[in-house]
Amino acid sequence: MILARHADALLWAGRYLERAENTARCLTYAADSIIQLRSDEARFDGEKLVRTLGLESELAEAGSLESSPQLVAFLLSDRDNAGSLVSSVVALRENLRSVRDRIPIELWEEANGLYLRFPFLGHAQAESRGLHEVLLMVRRACLAMSGVLNEGMRRDEGHAFVVIGRMLERATFTVALLRSDLPGAGNGADAVRMLRLTSSLQAYHRQRRRDPDPFDVMQYLMHAPDLPRSVLSCVGRAEECLKGLGSVGPALTRSRRRAGVLRVRLELGETVEGMEAEPAQTLDALAAEFDDLALEVQSGLVPPLEMTAVRSQYVRPGAAGVAAGVWPVGTRDRPR
Amino acid sequence: MADPSPETGLLDGYRPVDAFDEAFDADGSARHGYRHIVERFSGLDAAELKRLQRLVNEEFRRQGITFTVYSEEEGTERIWPMDLFPRLIAAAEWDELARGLSQRIEALNLFLADVYVGGGEALSDGVVPRWLVVSSGGFERNAMGIRMPHGTHCCIAGIDVVRGADGRYRVLEDNLRNPSGISYVVENRAAMAKVCNWLFYDHPVEPANHYGQMLRSTLESMAPAAADAPQVVVLTPGIFNSAYFEHAFLARSMGVELVEGRDLVVDGHRVYARTIEGLVEVNVIYRRIDDDFLDPVSFRADSTLGVPGLLGALRAGTVTVCNALGNGVADDKAVYPYVPDLIRYYLGVEPIIDNVATYRMWDLDHRRQALSRLDELVVKPVGASGGYGVLIGPHATADELEEAKAKIEAEPREWIVQELVALSTLPSFAEERLEPRHLDLRPFVLTGAQTQVFPGGLTRVAMRRGSLIVNSSQGGGSKDTWVLKPELAAVGHAEGELR
Repeated sequence: MILARHADALLWAGRYLERAENTARCLTYAADSIIQLRSDEARFDGEKLVRTLGLESELAEAGSLESSPQLVAFLLSDRDNAGSLVSSVVALRENLRSVRDRIPIELWEEANGLYLRFPFLGHAQAESRGLHEVLLMVRRACLAMSGVLNEGMRRDEGHAFVVIGRMLERATFTVALLRSDLPGAGNGADAVRMLRLTSSLQAYHRQRRRDPDPFDVMQYLMHAPDLPRSVLSCVGRAEECLKGLGSVGPALTRSRRRAGVLRVRLELGETVEGMEAEPAQTLDALAAEFDDLALEVQSGLVPPLEMTAVRSQYVRPGAAGVAAGVWPVGTRDRPR
Repeated sequence: MADPSPETGLLDGYRPVDAFDEAFDADGSARHGYRHIVERFSGLDAAELKRLQRLVNEEFRRQGITFTVYSEEEGTERIWPMDLFPRLIAAAEWDELARGLSQRIEALNLFLADVYVGGGEALSDGVVPRWLVVSSGGFERNAMGIRMPHGTHCCIAGIDVVRGADGRYRVLEDNLRNPSGISYVVENRAAMAKVCNWLFYDHPVEPANHYGQMLRSTLESMAPAAADAPQVVVLTPGIFNSAYFEHAFLARSMGVELVEGRDLVVDGHRVYARTIEGLVEVNVIYRRIDDDFLDPVSFRADSTLGVPGLLGALRAGTVTVCNALGNGVADDKAVYPYVPDLIRYYLGVEPIIDNVATYRMWDLDHRRQALSRLDELVVKPVGASGGYGVLIGPHATADELEEAKAKIEAEPREWIVQELVALSTLPSFAEERLEPRHLDLRPFVLTGAQTQVFPGGLTRVAMRRGSLIVNSSQGGGSKDTWVLKPELAAVGHAEGELR
């Protein structure tokens, strides 16, 4: 048995773990590449990166990007930016903390250790470290957590929800990355950038043995069945985990079906054709489908209607406690 | 065979203060089981001890073994410092202590059952004044008539005991509602075993890692009779509660779910947990939230921590809540002076462990006696815990004493006055050396169908010189507590090392 609230926390722990890793990878890319560019190019690339991470509205609130250090600060240590690395590290720890009785101790220790070592949190031991050192620390911690998840955690419902969260986040990221790199969105697709931001450059080289071609890279990142970050792989693993949950409520049953349909469409080449004909529309539609899938999974975890009805019998309308336990549904950030 | 006092190192110049020192005799030689420990600590220098202390702190911080300090904005999660010099309790000494604690809890459970479901015979017979019971802040009218399995109202108790200058244990306080600290007992031992494993050589110590199993079987035995495979949960106020680490620890070590009020719902007088499959019935709730917050229908309506309708389910007997509602009446400090009489009344035997001598301020003679020498005594409010509001006569100013007198005269029911106990001491690390620091002990007593005492307990130590306040909220620390296995005590006795 798993409490719906615990499933929710684990789902979001999975998402934040993946998001921390993605953001760290983007920051590494920014530090390596963007900093060397002319300021107008740098601003352009920086904004593209922000779009890839889906942080346009957060950036609008923070103000525009004038310089590369500003971009780094926005993505790394801006506590007001819900998508910054520090926000992900804090949220990851918070979610794992609320389930620490049911996850491997090592997973909690790793997340807690990362939080304690992370600079810019005002801890006594915070010292100004090199950006690379921080990013390396984050990526190593993320890898260690992945290792514990793979090798140290029973394949129970809790594990399934972490993986579902990761896969949803990962697929959303990959689709947004491809969308941000489409011709028309700017200077044209940068094949190497797409591969680097998904840690797939080496795999692509070994498999294709040729210079990356933007269109081929897009198809590769969408459909390669053996690439852990391809959209197809993500949907497949999410579906597998949803299937493994056993007896669940109606919303999770629907989300299982939805993931299955999505995988089949990717496998049978519907999206291949779509990418050839109308890449922008195809990617937009895909992004919307992932949002819907995430919403469906989430709605399987909010209190069932009958529970709210039973509770409301006890409470005077309008009194505190009526809404206790009912969360609004959202996909980008965990409702508090 | 007297052990020579160590002349060098961290214990150099160690002089017990005016109290019973657990490790050293009055003539300065190491007591019974402490000889090896004293030798090993004498071989360390301050730098090495600091290094070990730092390792332990890092271990606690990494694992998030912390408590929350509400008043501080930054860094609200604090570790609770553990001093490395352990407390040892010989097997025979522990045996007697455990029997005394079991006896006390047995009597207190009988008292609670008597008050809430038995018609209050002890009150009718005048053992405890009825007015005192019904005027207690811990007396819960909503608990009247709720029958507990085995008559056990207090499944988990933490009894604070202290050792006075005569070396005898006395009960200072009963905690029958939500005693906390057991997680530190287990984690302290785990940290000691990692960092100071060399200390354990030649010391067969009772293990301290089976609390989860003990608690689980205790709670399962409290399930309503109809439940076959009882579903046990731990109910926590959530991650922002100061003892959240302990709540998660308890759920993890029992292998049960850690729920919040919002995870539970009552329908048809049954309690259900919300899972991904739907609603699953719950049979036993180990709640770590106070009575007032349990059910907004019957208690505080503004509380969102509890479960609406829980009290109805309790009355219907479909679920057991541990500890029971209304236990506060038995650990009210105003009822405490009557506990030895309750033991005599219900069990027909003499108490094995005494109380600290206590004056009841609502009794005119007691009040007169106490007020005439308040500067030598300790004043305690009956309703507070955590060391708050305690006035230690010899440390108080004349104004403070006058103020206390006025408060007592105004509301005698709200105060007790006790003889000052010079809490026993143990060497504890202070800056560069080991110095005597005062301590107490909180053993944990589990009762379901039967009563068991978990070996050892939480030793709390005052970190400041001369301080008698050991509470974590007041800057106290803790120590690992070793109950020695009988073999060593027997061997020690043969060598003439026991007191």
